Amino acid sequence: MNFDVSLVVESIPRMLEGIGLTLQLLILSSAIGLVLAIITLLMRISGKWFLVAPAAIYIYFFRGTPILVQIFIIYYGLPQLEFIREGALWPVLREPFWCCVIALSLNGGAYVSEILRGGVLGVEKGVLEAASALGISRSQRFVYITSPIAIRLSIPAYSNDMISMVKSTALASTVTLLDMTGVARTIVAQTFAPYEIFIAAASIYLVMAWMIQKGFGLLERRMSRYVKAT
Amino acid sequence: MSDLVGWADEYFWGAMVVLRVFAVSLVLSVIIGLVGAAMKLSRSRVANAIAGAYTVVFRGTPELLVLLIVYFGAAVTLTAIAQSVDPSIKFIDIPPFWAGAFAIALIVGAYMTETFRGAFLGVDPGHVEAARALGLSNLQTFIYVRIPQMWRLALPNFGNHMLSLMKDTALISVIGLEEIVFVAEMATSVTTKPFTMFMVVALIYLCITTVITLAVMALEKYANRHLEGSR
Repeated sequence: MNFDVSLVVESIPRMLEGIGLTLQLLILSSAIGLVLAIITLLMRISGKWFLVAPAAIYIYFFRGTPILVQIFIIYYGLPQLEFIREGALWPVLREPFWCCVIALSLNGGAYVSEILRGGVLGVEKGVLEAASALGISRSQRFVYITSPIAIRLSIPAYSNDMISMVKSTALASTVTLLDMTGVARTIVAQTFAPYEIFIAAASIYLVMAWMIQKGFGLLERRMSRYVKAT
Repeated sequence: MSDLVGWADEYFWGAMVVLRVFAVSLVLSVIIGLVGAAMKLSRSRVANAIAGAYTVVFRGTPELLVLLIVYFGAAVTLTAIAQSVDPSIKFIDIPPFWAGAFAIALIVGAYMTETFRGAFLGVDPGHVEAARALGLSNLQTFIYVRIPQMWRLALPNFGNHMLSLMKDTALISVIGLEEIVFVAEMATSVTTKPFTMFMVVALIYLCITTVITLAVMALEKYANRHLEGSR
């Protein structure tokens, strides 16, 4: 047995065909997930039990179960229910791609909302007291004072979560989608050279994770430029 | 609900498999984490580089891919070794249980390495110096001074890593381990009730992760009991 480098070189272009799908999953899921996260966050900090309770249950469920199981529930599970098959959303829920987007968004939303909550709780009390002493209203305080600070505080954790999201998109290959991992698994089934192909795929994921980390690092540096360098 | 009756024992044994994978990978990942942290904190450049590369690779690669590399890679390697000894052997693979437990331990071990490294750095160097001054050996300092202070600091992240470890066990069904996702797939093909069957899987995971969360909370309370008076 030997490591065939030419196989790696040959397989990378084929795998890059799958990267489009991986990126689509990543961008759509993280965008929808962020919207869900903000809604959930607002519900959680509203202080009204009928908003706090559903948000807490949502977060508890999606953080406590594996994403693979969530994808399977949505893709394989939902068609069991009559009203789903007859409902208006059936054309969407029939597609494995959209099922993955929905599962990844719901999962990401639960995690990101906790990250954002951590950011909001991390805002110094004195700043908010100063704002209310200046007569700034509650909603203005949230938009102009809490949010910018909370966003900056959330960036490191959020960038880790984006990397988890990249890694989670690989699960799309379990519901027949040909994302990068899906393509890799197809090639391995043809050539039976698991080391070469999977390591090639892994290196593409690594580059993506590295780019996300660097990108958010730059963003964090830019947003922290008013903080004195220590 | 009546569809579930016949499958209760299958789910129970599936859950036992999950817990066994969890236990094995947890022990392995703690060992990997401690070794990794020691390498990262050592003065040896080579050890630093190896541990650094290890954490970068295993934190940036999808869990599923690591699992597939370990499982299929081990099969190819073992078959090649076996054929060089006895050419009549066609194919050998390792049990999905061990491939899965090892793959997950490798991934979580990378996270543990970072957590343990941070926790060791959080131990006041003055305490270590004091231990040296009192004539404690390196090993004694490690066991009586560093570990008791470090595990408190590592605990919150350690709890999170245990949760992600638990959830990663679901992936092993992909390589054919008969755990609860696998049971649900079987049950679905017989009863054609996928929603019910996978919801049961989700609820089992939810129960286990809840127990882990509560246990970590109790441990944290125990770990910080010496701080209670000051609050």
